[in-house]
Amino acid sequence: MSSRRSRGGVSEEEINELISRLQTLLPSARRRGASQASTTKLLKETCSYIKSLHREVDDLSDRLSDLMASMDQNSPGAEIIRSLLR
Amino acid sequence: MAVKRTAPSPPTPRPNPNPNRRAPVSGADAASPSKRMLAFHFIRALARIHRSTPVPRRTRTIRRAAYSSMARAANPRRVWSRALLQQMRARRARTRRAAVLRRRVSAAPATPPGGARSITGEDQESTTLAALARTTAAAVPHRQAGEPARADALRRLVPGGNEMEYSNLLEETADYVRCLRAQVQLMQGLVDLFSGR
Repeated sequence: MSSRRSRGGVSEEEINELISRLQTLLPSARRRGASQASTTKLLKETCSYIKSLHREVDDLSDRLSDLMASMDQNSPGAEIIRSLLR
Repeated sequence: MAVKRTAPSPPTPRPNPNPNRRAPVSGADAASPSKRMLAFHFIRALARIHRSTPVPRRTRTIRRAAYSSMARAANPRRVWSRALLQQMRARRARTRRAAVLRRRVSAAPATPPGGARSITGEDQESTTLAALARTTAAAVPHRQAGEPARADALRRLVPGGNEMEYSNLLEETADYVRCLRAQVQLMQGLVDLFSGR
């Protein structure tokens, strides 16, 4: 896997292309008009975005677990869940 | 148990059939992960959890199911999805070993009875995570001289990130973020649905 040590295989442009594609995924892509953010800033933002997504998964897992527990009672939502999970 | 079918015959059942991963211009490469497959795996896991997981352990199990179904629905050629599945398997193997050890230890008269269940549960989770952290930290942190220092932190966040080249890391990160987002949207949708809205 260490066959490409020099930049011969991957050009600077490709790297920039990949970084700009990453930028379009970030939530700030909609707000920011100019795409002049530095690489460091973009990577930092990506890191914090990934961390916030991880936290959301944790939080949603917790809520799903609560909702699952309330399934055994009778409510319109419980019916939906039961039919979905059959 | 009847498996829930989401659609009779979708036109393209395989997500990401594009073989050219290196070409930066191909549109299919930027396709979002198959939401159907994501829902299929996750909801199936939820059904299993509802049947056989005791209530106190559900949050943790649901979270792990989220990451496994994400990895299963993703393109199997992605390094992050393979790394994630490997991590899950390793964790299950360690948990099984730890559970066996726990039973042997609790059989001995020295350990205090009761109250040990939840504590050892947390312990084995943290030791497993610590062991995982150790193995990932032992891998090479810096692959190339040209990459920015921030790439280090990114490598720690993306599964299997330590072994990737910088350009590959960027590609994998984009795919990982897309899949994470889709998973979060799925879970949010389920929460909304189950809340009776």
